[in-house]
Amino acid sequence: MTRILIVDDEASIRLLYSQELADEGYEVDTAATIAEALALLKENSYAVALLDIKLKNESGLDLLQQLVKERHDMAVILSTAFSCYRDDFSAWLADSYVVKSSDMQELKDEIKRLVERKSR
Amino acid sequence: MEFECCWFNPDRNPLECQNIVEGEEYLYSSPRKRLVEKCLDCPAFQRDLAIIPEENPLRYIISILREEYREQRGHLSSISAFLTSKSREIKFLHELSQVLQTSMELDEVLSVAMTAITSGKGFGMNRAFLLMMDRERQFLRGYIGVGPRNYEEAWQIWDEVDRSNFSLAELSRQFYKTKISSERAKFADILEQLTVARDEVNHIFNRALNERRPILVDNAFNNPEVDPRLTAILGVGHFLIMPLISRNRSIGVLLTDNFVSNKPITPRDMQTLQTFAFPVAFAIERASLYERLQEEVEKQTLANRKLQEQQELIVRMEKMAVVGRITASIAHSIRNPLAAIGGFVRALLKNSTNLEQKRDYLERIAVEAKNLENVLDEVLNYSDSLHPVMDYWDLNQLVLSVTSELRQSLAEMNIAIVIDLDADLPAAWLDYKQISYCLKTVINHVANSQPDSDSIGVETSREDELLKVCVSDNGPSLSDELKEALTNPFTAIEHLGLGIGLPLCKVILERHGSSFVIENRPEGGNRYCIILQQHKGENDL
Repeated sequence: MTRILIVDDEASIRLLYSQELADEGYEVDTAATIAEALALLKENSYAVALLDIKLKNESGLDLLQQLVKERHDMAVILSTAFSCYRDDFSAWLADSYVVKSSDMQELKDEIKRLVERKSR
Repeated sequence: MEFECCWFNPDRNPLECQNIVEGEEYLYSSPRKRLVEKCLDCPAFQRDLAIIPEENPLRYIISILREEYREQRGHLSSISAFLTSKSREIKFLHELSQVLQTSMELDEVLSVAMTAITSGKGFGMNRAFLLMMDRERQFLRGYIGVGPRNYEEAWQIWDEVDRSNFSLAELSRQFYKTKISSERAKFADILEQLTVARDEVNHIFNRALNERRPILVDNAFNNPEVDPRLTAILGVGHFLIMPLISRNRSIGVLLTDNFVSNKPITPRDMQTLQTFAFPVAFAIERASLYERLQEEVEKQTLANRKLQEQQELIVRMEKMAVVGRITASIAHSIRNPLAAIGGFVRALLKNSTNLEQKRDYLERIAVEAKNLENVLDEVLNYSDSLHPVMDYWDLNQLVLSVTSELRQSLAEMNIAIVIDLDADLPAAWLDYKQISYCLKTVINHVANSQPDSDSIGVETSREDELLKVCVSDNGPSLSDELKEALTNPFTAIEHLGLGIGLPLCKVILERHGSSFVIENRPEGGNRYCIILQQHKGENDL
């Protein structure tokens, strides 16, 4: 089963995303901090990581840089409330960029696209 | 011996004298004046002298004295004429220098100078050309010409001038207002041809300028020192070249001639024109400098205006940036709860079987809606903060009220509030609503930033005229950078879930005349202090 990692400091968002993506047939893990995310990444292999840029006292962009260097096989989607980060150079390292929305269709489509790309 | 005339003949009546005319009646009563002014020139006196015997020495003496007197009188008369002419010249130069002194514009100065040279009330020359040194000091360029181009025009101009009877100042003013452009255009071809490079050192213009002396050219058609092209351009063989030099600086050259009347230019004319050339050169230089100064002032004014516009733009951009940061902060604060609310509602609509899950989703919707309300509170508090309502309040009572309000939510986070109040605290001059908001925000910040901590301290104290309310935690000590960053709006976006929290408190407290400091506690942990004035300041309403 395709595994997905969700990194977001908002508990409601973590719950919502994990439920919705589970319904889509993915196996989902969640992390509230970078430390939690790294711990999960050490143990598991993920097809896609969904990163929030604004974590409480941390930046998802820092984790993104680390993942790009070390986890070439994993696609990374940046998910944030800020559309302005699209212009941030470091955000360009990600495979995709999705602005948070109550309609998760765009996010689901992006995950599907990246999973399919990986399997080709 | 009987004399014919009244000078020595008491029988002769002076009234009969044919030499005394109307207006000279005073001579009738003064034989002495009559003798000197009339008799010495009178043929009758000459005849009277002739009848004095030759052996009488008086005849010889009187003749000598008469001749000598007449000679001296002629001499005096010519000196008097010279003085009169010089006096007129000084008067003219004085008038000219006065007009020049009040003229600041180059064309105005040139109008005065060229009119003075060519008008009958001035030097009365037929024609004059001015060549000016260019800015790069490479060429003497024909700048302006004044006078007629042919005989017909000459008579027409002189006729007009005769009839107008204008003074020199009036003539030059009229020239400046109505004729300078047309004169320049009229002589454009000659001015162009007169232009000469400064490195042509043998050219007569450059010689006059380099040797700093006027050159009076006579018979130019046969003069090997004069370029035949120049003579051909001017069409006249007799002309004067006057260098214009101001304070050792070459300004230009003045060329003048009498090409219509052919009246010779005398060395005395040259001398007078030389006297005139000094103030003209000075006035031209001053006007040129003034013109360049005006250009520089204009450039400076333009640069200043641009600078001011850019400064205003920067201020506007800074304001926009602040607004942008606040907006981004609020947008972030709103988007997360909205995404959660909307997402859960969609999930509820999609799956309607699991009741427990529905309850969880609904609770989350309620919590996120409350978060949105808090964001609104913050925004509204910010606008309220611009207009504080001040009064004397009991700070301890304020602390108790705020902590009581927060106790429940902190208890859910397993955090206890430990309160230590100074019982002797006097009333403080503050805005109750705003200080309550600030204290609440600080406590919430401490609770959220130290989730592992089990207690938060809130204490009040007094230092002279200052009253303090401090919130303490037991977490790791904050670095100076982080302390600074916590109250900076931009960093706040990164650190505060609800957005503008602590930076907003800082703004509120500073507008309030109070201050907000974050310090490390000696025993470990941090202290967030709101420092209030006990009494209202002189500028407070």
